Amino acid sequence: MQKEEKQLESSLADITAKVADIKNALASFLYKLENEFATLNWPTMLDNFALISSNMNSLSRVLRGDKIPALRNFTLFPVLLSPDTDQELAKLTEGRLFMCNHEVVPDYLRTKPETEVEDKINQLHTKANSITSDNAQKQLNNLNKITSNILDIINSYREEWDNDSKQKTQQPQTSSQSETNTLIAAISMGKGLRLQSQMPQQSQQPSPGMQQQSQKPMPVGKMQSSVKTTIRAGSAGHPYPRP
Amino acid sequence: MENTFSVGLKNNIAPQQEYLLQGSIVDLHRDVLLHRLRGLCDNADKQPETFSDHEMVFVLRGATAQQNPVLFRVRRSLDPPDDPSWHIRYLGTSEIGDKNRHTLVRACFDVACSNNVVKFLNEMGFRSDHEYCVKGYFFHKGRMKVTVSKIYRMVQTGTPDGNTQEAMTQSSLVELSVVAPAGQEQIADDMKNFAEQLKPLVQLEKVDQKRLSVQ
Repeated sequence: MQKEEKQLESSLADITAKVADIKNALASFLYKLENEFATLNWPTMLDNFALISSNMNSLSRVLRGDKIPALRNFTLFPVLLSPDTDQELAKLTEGRLFMCNHEVVPDYLRTKPETEVEDKINQLHTKANSITSDNAQKQLNNLNKITSNILDIINSYREEWDNDSKQKTQQPQTSSQSETNTLIAAISMGKGLRLQSQMPQQSQQPSPGMQQQSQKPMPVGKMQSSVKTTIRAGSAGHPYPRP
Repeated sequence: MENTFSVGLKNNIAPQQEYLLQGSIVDLHRDVLLHRLRGLCDNADKQPETFSDHEMVFVLRGATAQQNPVLFRVRRSLDPPDDPSWHIRYLGTSEIGDKNRHTLVRACFDVACSNNVVKFLNEMGFRSDHEYCVKGYFFHKGRMKVTVSKIYRMVQTGTPDGNTQEAMTQSSLVELSVVAPAGQEQIADDMKNFAEQLKPLVQLEKVDQKRLSVQ
């Protein structure tokens, strides 16, 4: 028993320290919210939340630790209630509580939920008990189905997003090597640009009848024939024939 | 050659070299490229300049097959159509160079000329080889020139208007070029850096034109 008490004594110091940490974190956060709300940004907010949350975590770790005896096995009861101001108490609570009277004690030493809350809990309990096991099973299955459906939806969306982001990194095809080559060949050597004037020329040679057929849709062919005659005339009567 | 250069110099035609990188962009994504170029190039606050040209290529073939034909490129602006400015350009053979040089290099002579140049070339014995229309956008950054243009095949010779043209491909040609006096290798590095900024939208590369003609 002695040993347990000692343990309690030492662990209480730990707990008080942890609680003080949380209190300080909360206080500084509140101070910031009240005085620096104009300059406060989201990352700082998150930092504060993280700090508080980590303090809470370490407190619950201490409470769950082996060194602490199960606190629920200890009972705490008020020995003396007085309606007078207690300076010592005010000092201990840093001015938050001035007297230990009938009004505050039920709040501070409460071990059961408030009556309204308790009523609500009881209601829920009776409601839960009134459901037959078949019904409960059915509802459970339904819930499972819904959650798995939602999970599927979320997963498919995630896949979609993953694909989207992949596509963004991959970049769509914005240029084509073959088209580059076609264009460059065209402007540098006239490849594909000259083709039209050559085609009718070739079809012209085998049969003269073809020429008339191709006259209307391909005016180029028509022009070609006139060029041909001028060349013939020119080569005969030109004063400076080319070698 | 020495002689040609000295004649050229006397007439204020300096021996220039064109440094060139080429690529293409699919029409669907052209606006993205234009937007990026507008941000990268000079005069970002203005709308990009457009141009619309008609190019005619004239060839003078040698008497024998061994002689290389001489090509001249005559270009006139179709924009505005009533007062076209003409110029004639001679392009030398492109040098692909080794890995250390990032761009194509070719001799380049550009001369402004009057509108009877076609007649003059015909009289000289040049014959029209092919022609096309080129329409697009023009940017510059320092002395670098970037054009994003579509090449149109002419259905009917000599009269470039909207009805007689058809686009060659579903892509626009992208060219990055600098015309500078010979021997300025630094410019190729600048161009390479600029081309890097357009990746992966456009792959601007030195394209071996001889290799293309074989295909």
